[in-house]
Amino acid sequence: MINIKNLTLKVDNLILFDNANIAIPKNKITVLVGSNGTGKTTLLKVISGIIKPQKINIEKKYKELFYLPQRIKYPKGITLFEYIESSFYKQNWKWFINNDEKEKINEVLKLLELEEKKNTLIDNLSSGELQKANIALALVANADILLLDEPTSNMDLINQIKVLDILKKLVKNGLTCVIVLHDINLSSSYGDYFIGLGKDNKIIQKEKNDFFTSEILKEIYGINFKVVNNDEDFHVQIFN
Amino acid sequence: MKKKAIILILAIILLISLYLALFAGYNDIGFNLFKKAFNLNNDTDSMILSLLRYPRALKALIAGSSLALAGMFMQAVTKNPLAEPYITGVSAGAGLGIVLSILFFNTINYSIFGFLGALIASFLVIIFSGFSRFSIAKLILIGLSINVFSSAIMSLIILVNPMKSYTMMLILSGGVTNNEIISNKILIVIFIIFLLLSALFVPKLNFLRLDSSLLETNKNKKYFYSAIIIVLSALLTSTSVFCAGILGFIGIIAPQISKMLLGQDYRYLFISNILIGSSLVLMADFIARVIIYPLQVPLGLVVAFIGAPIFVYFLTKKGDMFND
Repeated sequence: MINIKNLTLKVDNLILFDNANIAIPKNKITVLVGSNGTGKTTLLKVISGIIKPQKINIEKKYKELFYLPQRIKYPKGITLFEYIESSFYKQNWKWFINNDEKEKINEVLKLLELEEKKNTLIDNLSSGELQKANIALALVANADILLLDEPTSNMDLINQIKVLDILKKLVKNGLTCVIVLHDINLSSSYGDYFIGLGKDNKIIQKEKNDFFTSEILKEIYGINFKVVNNDEDFHVQIFN
Repeated sequence: MKKKAIILILAIILLISLYLALFAGYNDIGFNLFKKAFNLNNDTDSMILSLLRYPRALKALIAGSSLALAGMFMQAVTKNPLAEPYITGVSAGAGLGIVLSILFFNTINYSIFGFLGALIASFLVIIFSGFSRFSIAKLILIGLSINVFSSAIMSLIILVNPMKSYTMMLILSGGVTNNEIISNKILIVIFIIFLLLSALFVPKLNFLRLDSSLLETNKNKKYFYSAIIIVLSALLTSTSVFCAGILGFIGIIAPQISKMLLGQDYRYLFISNILIGSSLVLMADFIARVIIYPLQVPLGLVVAFIGAPIFVYFLTKKGDMFND
């Protein structure tokens, strides 16, 4: 879906990517993992075209991309429904959205179990609910690729699982997802393809089954892990 | 539903202000004049209405709603509650135009020079901030610089011309002018065109209210919409300068009060800014006309006198909006 070749990126004097080749497969959930400051967010921004690297050769095959950043400020005094509505006015010149668009918002809110909150002011939503609202924004955007930067960091475990389940279902129907996730165990249940960013610009890209080995995890995080294979659902423990 | 009720109340307030501005005077509430409005002929009352009050109210209405809308636009585009229409260098540009016209032509038709000054200043700011790479912060800072620069020239001219300085200061305080340099019909047409253009971009403000980090993948659209909205706001502000001179504060308080009452849905804010902005200027013009009758207080001062307390009241009641 996206093929990056010869990516070189320096921020100040720090080299984040040095002639790297990175591929994002279509119709899969690709998970970006790695310690803080290894360039996960930067990579998402490079893919979405927000950051222009010093050198890049990029091949893109998608229609519409949606990038959900980590930290977002919210407008005040509007309802959750109106917040989601905002994204339709990117193209629309009419003052009101039509019934199909309304239907679509309602559908997505229902899917995310937010329908009861649709007339609540977003000022009064919890941080987990706000993150779900942004997922809703991503889902109504008609994008065929979503780049999500820690989209579930404020959600409780149940909601994290629900949101990731929804994404997994959508990926089966043709969506492509790139997600930054810090919970390595959770990512093993949902990710199909993994890109690990380690120290010294090391990049490891593998399918899930090849990725979850203690050798590779050590290369990325620099510590020893014990990996338990539970019918392709991996469980990772730290041991010293 | 609550929002519609608020719009209705604001509309009633506008009607009351319009009535006072048109018909009421120093010592009467204006029923006779009101009746006359449906039956204009050649007597004094009809003359007062058609030659003095109507044009004056029209200009107050246009000035108020233009400033409020321009303020709403600037605040929406910059995402800064302190942004006001004069941020693009309009006020000092207009002031310089007015002072130069009094200096060289000694004419009462200073409003057209104010209008031109405002237009030139704001387009200079917009063009300069478009060099290399456009950014909102650059726009604000260049606007500030042009403002400071032309204020300095303006002050210098006022200081070295003591014979004319009183007239200059009086006109700079703002007021609805009664000269017919552009016929009122043309003024109405221009204003309606600007209103329709503004209405066209209202849905785009509902898109731009999303956090700028979410808009980063749509930067081209964002800058395209913002640029048109800033130009529109400069045109509206210059129109207001033509109608009523430099009126500070309206462009901040009308959008902020609207936002506190209605939240950030720009479809409601568009209507409410027109209503609040024009009510404020009409009401202020009425007070300016009667408070020290037969003299008149400069409109800009009355706006400050009634605007500041109203604004502080709303901030104490509904100021939570500004908590981060």
